[in-house]
Amino acid sequence: MGEKLLMSGNEVIAEAAIRAGCRFYFGYPITPQTEIAHYLAKRMPEAGGTFLQAESEIAAINMVYGASAAGARAMTSSSSPGISLKQECISYLAGAELPAVIVNIVRCGPGLGGILPAQCDYFQAVKGGGHGDYKMVVLAPCSVQELYELTVEAFNIADRYRVTVMIMGDGILGQMMEIVEFRDEEEIFNADKSWALTGTGMKRENNFITSIYINPEVLEAHNRKLQQKYREIERNECRVEVYNCENADVIVAAFGTVARIVKNVIKQAEREGIKVGLIRPITLWPFPNEAFLKYAQVPRAFLTVELNAGQMLEDVKLALNGANKTYFYGRMGGMIPAQKEILDEIKKIMEK
Amino acid sequence: MNYEYKLYEPTWCPGCGNYMIRTALKMALEGLGIEPHEAVIVSGIGQAAKMPHYIKINGFNGLHGRAIPPAIGIKLSNKNLKVIVESGDGDSYGEGGNHFIHGIRRNIDIAHFVHNNQIYGLTKGQASPTTAMGHKTTLQYDGVKIEPIQPLALALTMGAGFVARGFSGDIQRLVSLMKEAINYKGYALVDILQPCVVWNKVNTFSWYRDRVYYLPDDYDYTNKKEAMEKALEFGDRIPIGILYKVEKETYGDKFDFIKKGLPLVDRELNPLDAEKLMNEFI
Repeated sequence: MGEKLLMSGNEVIAEAAIRAGCRFYFGYPITPQTEIAHYLAKRMPEAGGTFLQAESEIAAINMVYGASAAGARAMTSSSSPGISLKQECISYLAGAELPAVIVNIVRCGPGLGGILPAQCDYFQAVKGGGHGDYKMVVLAPCSVQELYELTVEAFNIADRYRVTVMIMGDGILGQMMEIVEFRDEEEIFNADKSWALTGTGMKRENNFITSIYINPEVLEAHNRKLQQKYREIERNECRVEVYNCENADVIVAAFGTVARIVKNVIKQAEREGIKVGLIRPITLWPFPNEAFLKYAQVPRAFLTVELNAGQMLEDVKLALNGANKTYFYGRMGGMIPAQKEILDEIKKIMEK
Repeated sequence: MNYEYKLYEPTWCPGCGNYMIRTALKMALEGLGIEPHEAVIVSGIGQAAKMPHYIKINGFNGLHGRAIPPAIGIKLSNKNLKVIVESGDGDSYGEGGNHFIHGIRRNIDIAHFVHNNQIYGLTKGQASPTTAMGHKTTLQYDGVKIEPIQPLALALTMGAGFVARGFSGDIQRLVSLMKEAINYKGYALVDILQPCVVWNKVNTFSWYRDRVYYLPDDYDYTNKKEAMEKALEFGDRIPIGILYKVEKETYGDKFDFIKKGLPLVDRELNPLDAEKLMNEFI
């Protein structure tokens, strides 16, 4: 490992993108992620790349669509309402099998909602916010260091499978400053991009990027191919942190910043004689079903804690498939659960 | 009349041009004798778009860039309401550029007041569609590289029947422009120059004050050619007033079912009304 710096999450996403070989960033201001654009406005020209402030979020993601079609590593970032605007193009990127990295520093909705932290875009990201049968890899880091590592990883996954990858954080992660240790050099997956619109040089047939297939048989075959690719991603790219789960009385499922609070709850519970485990999905899609299955019978029950009304909860239930009881505790609207609130929920389960 | 809304304290910075625009709006509504229940303020997202939060009148705070489409929906549903759109330059001309253009083409009877401070205020100082070339901002470190939008010229090109420019520093004239725009039958655009005291250190209050001048009394605002010339005059001198005003048939007036009778929301719908239509199939 190399240089150690104190940086905010948003700045780290931007720096990591540069280190991952991203040279095209298109954005539009929205709190709480605008620092990504501000950092890249300075750094991109230094790195020999392009920073562009678009006239709207829709324009920005379509510029990514174009840059990716031309074979470049490209990224856009926004926050919840802006991400909603990008959904149509995310679906097109999936249909056209183009790699792209999209950052969502989630704020609380629905509608304009507020700018404070939330995890209420889980369904949108994981279940497909856009139209059609497609999947997007969703990475949910919980620290600034992990934000760095997963941003680099996001570009590699995107290129390897020709898919869109979303990095999903919240205002806590985006705005918080932590020490981040950068590697001296990144491992960059060198993808074959013979499909890219690079010009034929009069040596081959022209490439054509599209997502339209009018012939139903051809479209079904295309869809089957996409699904095969998604199954391969499910096999290869699942990431999860399993913490303190052996002999746990209660296992908490939490992702992103909530998992950090849960880790403190685990320490407090330990002092009170309760053993609490944590399963923290790092990829929200593909979802780490196997980790849940492995520990399904261990605790008295599972407790899912989220900054929403219970979204990942559904995937936890699907993963457990009735093998154990599941409870839920959530806060919304930018409210963050205190350690005591979560511990009280765990105690309630213990008394049941 | 009391348009004072006690619920929310404005979060605009001290010295923001939005305060003067709000005062002018209240004076214009009062001057026209419009009661709070007779009008609606429609906005998108941005500092200017906070207006419906800070004035006691029917308010609609919608999507960023998209104040015009719901304003159209409101006016077509209830033609008796005075519909006023209040939004900023980024909101109206950037994110909402497409709606701006097509809203003009439709010529719905709404007044559109654009608070134009030539910067994004809410998100802290990025260039807006009206920021001048070369202007250095918190994001465009090296200066803006692209041409600004000329909103008044664009509106004229799209066929707007009422095109005006105001200045938040001259409240009396702004009030009279607002009144004219609200009374105009059709889409009326008033681009209101206002300083952003925190994020725009170029186009300050004195920058505007030193450049604005009033169109002379004998200015012929029915002359589109001359209006276009005035619309493009934005630099050492900036004309203030009604640049263009002609009578045009509104969208609502083109349809008898909207034009005649009660507003659509007030009409009683009876299942038997469908009988006539069903008979066509029998």
